[in-house]
Amino acid sequence: MNDSDIVILGAGIHPFGRFDASAQDLGAHAARAALADAGLAWSDIEAAYLSRMYLPATSGARILRRLGGTDIPIVDVEAACASGGAALRQAVLAIRSQDVETVLVLGVEKMPRGFMDPSMIYSPWQIRMGMSMNPAYWSMRAMRHMHDYGTTQSQIARVAWKNHRNSVHNPNAMYRKEFSMEEILASPLVCDPIRRLEICAPNDGAAALVVTTGRRARQLGGNPVTIAACIHTIARYSADFRCPADSMSATIENTGPTALTARKAYETAAIGPDDIDCFEVQDTDAFCEIEIYEEIGLCGLGQGGPLVEAGHTDIGGRYPVNMSGGLISKGEPVGASHLGQVVELVGQLRGQAGARQVADARTAMAHVLGAGGNCAVTILRH
Amino acid sequence: MQAESTAASAVAPINDGMVRSLDPAHGQIELLGSRCATCGEVSLGTNAVCLNCGGDNIESIALGSEGTLWTFTVVRHRPPGNYLGPDPFEPFGVGLVELPSGLRVMTPLDGDISTFRIGDKVRLAPWLLREGEDRRWLAFRFTAAGGSAA
Repeated sequence: MNDSDIVILGAGIHPFGRFDASAQDLGAHAARAALADAGLAWSDIEAAYLSRMYLPATSGARILRRLGGTDIPIVDVEAACASGGAALRQAVLAIRSQDVETVLVLGVEKMPRGFMDPSMIYSPWQIRMGMSMNPAYWSMRAMRHMHDYGTTQSQIARVAWKNHRNSVHNPNAMYRKEFSMEEILASPLVCDPIRRLEICAPNDGAAALVVTTGRRARQLGGNPVTIAACIHTIARYSADFRCPADSMSATIENTGPTALTARKAYETAAIGPDDIDCFEVQDTDAFCEIEIYEEIGLCGLGQGGPLVEAGHTDIGGRYPVNMSGGLISKGEPVGASHLGQVVELVGQLRGQAGARQVADARTAMAHVLGAGGNCAVTILRH
Repeated sequence: MQAESTAASAVAPINDGMVRSLDPAHGQIELLGSRCATCGEVSLGTNAVCLNCGGDNIESIALGSEGTLWTFTVVRHRPPGNYLGPDPFEPFGVGLVELPSGLRVMTPLDGDISTFRIGDKVRLAPWLLREGEDRRWLAFRFTAAGGSAA
């Protein structure tokens, strides 16, 4: 760690699940845990960013008021499933500008059960015609991949099997139950070929980070983790047909958002996929994780299915992915999702991940992707 | 918004500038698109600006009614929100249909959900939707070319 590095000094989380507690309760819990982990007080924080999608205006100020009176800037940030990456990037930029040195990044969400409210992202005509089912868009990608590369339902189920198995050791996950391949493949189809045990659910949760400079971390002591890259992009024209796309070009095919964002993150960190010891990625559905393997360079195009089938993305494999159990097990409280991944990876890099620990993890990547083609990738080093 | 008409027979396009009847009984329709004179890209609906290059020299075109199924899925649960399809809910297909004009359009698929295959020839068909007592919409879907209409 250099003095000029930007580091995570504290990380805190409220478990993901469904709770009676308010968004204020969840957020304050995670913020206090991150401050305690950093060994800092609320009065040491000079700016704060709240990542959220569903919470109303000025939620950041309303949640953080629970920690005591303040006059620092508190800004709410939204970029769909990549909101946490966008908020963390704001903290990095604010510190790099030398306007502030110590920043709190908080992600909070409290979401109704069931499919997400379609009016958030779809036009009324799409909803009237039945085109408002997010998993339909993911499933159409899976169908095309199976057609082009021979990816199988069993390979897709293998992702869900791995992530459910990992979740058993994660007290912050909503579902902590192992399922057999047979149980996964017998679970009902949601949108063909994706099944109920292969899909993530919206829920409640919060995660928080205290971000500062290497210089300040060295003065304070503690156990800092360096942010080697934090990139946010949106999908280029016709690069992606995730919701709420109503069409795509048949003549122009731009680099997809995950491949583009990962490439920029690798360039910024001056490393490649083989230098990274563990990954947390956007498994909104089990197929999506297979596609991400290919786009972040863990294998060639069409080789994602064989990669997971061979166990290479298990804990103990060459490229451990979603040690936390992934979104399939944790659920996806959208605003808290990316910061939750980062909290998991901070624990991995500090060697505090218990039964789901990746041996000798020094470098880690977190990836999120969602509506509007929003994508964020954070690379951490310890 | 259109279709606030009190006339029970009034049928409004599901989205302005996207779909148009070719006969008074709405038996035949066409999908409308836009072609950019600068970069040549085609987009769905009537757009003032090219979604690719931002150019504003735009020509309105008909997108054509015959296409190929590029990918699809079967929606097995009632979609959230104000879905106007069959009630009680019936599982239905959704696909991305490639049209000769150079565009792939996201669309509901009419027909037996067990029969869809990538590469199928499909044809544009009108889909009349009713909302409440007096609102009627002209929507669209694709059906197997040669398959039976609903």
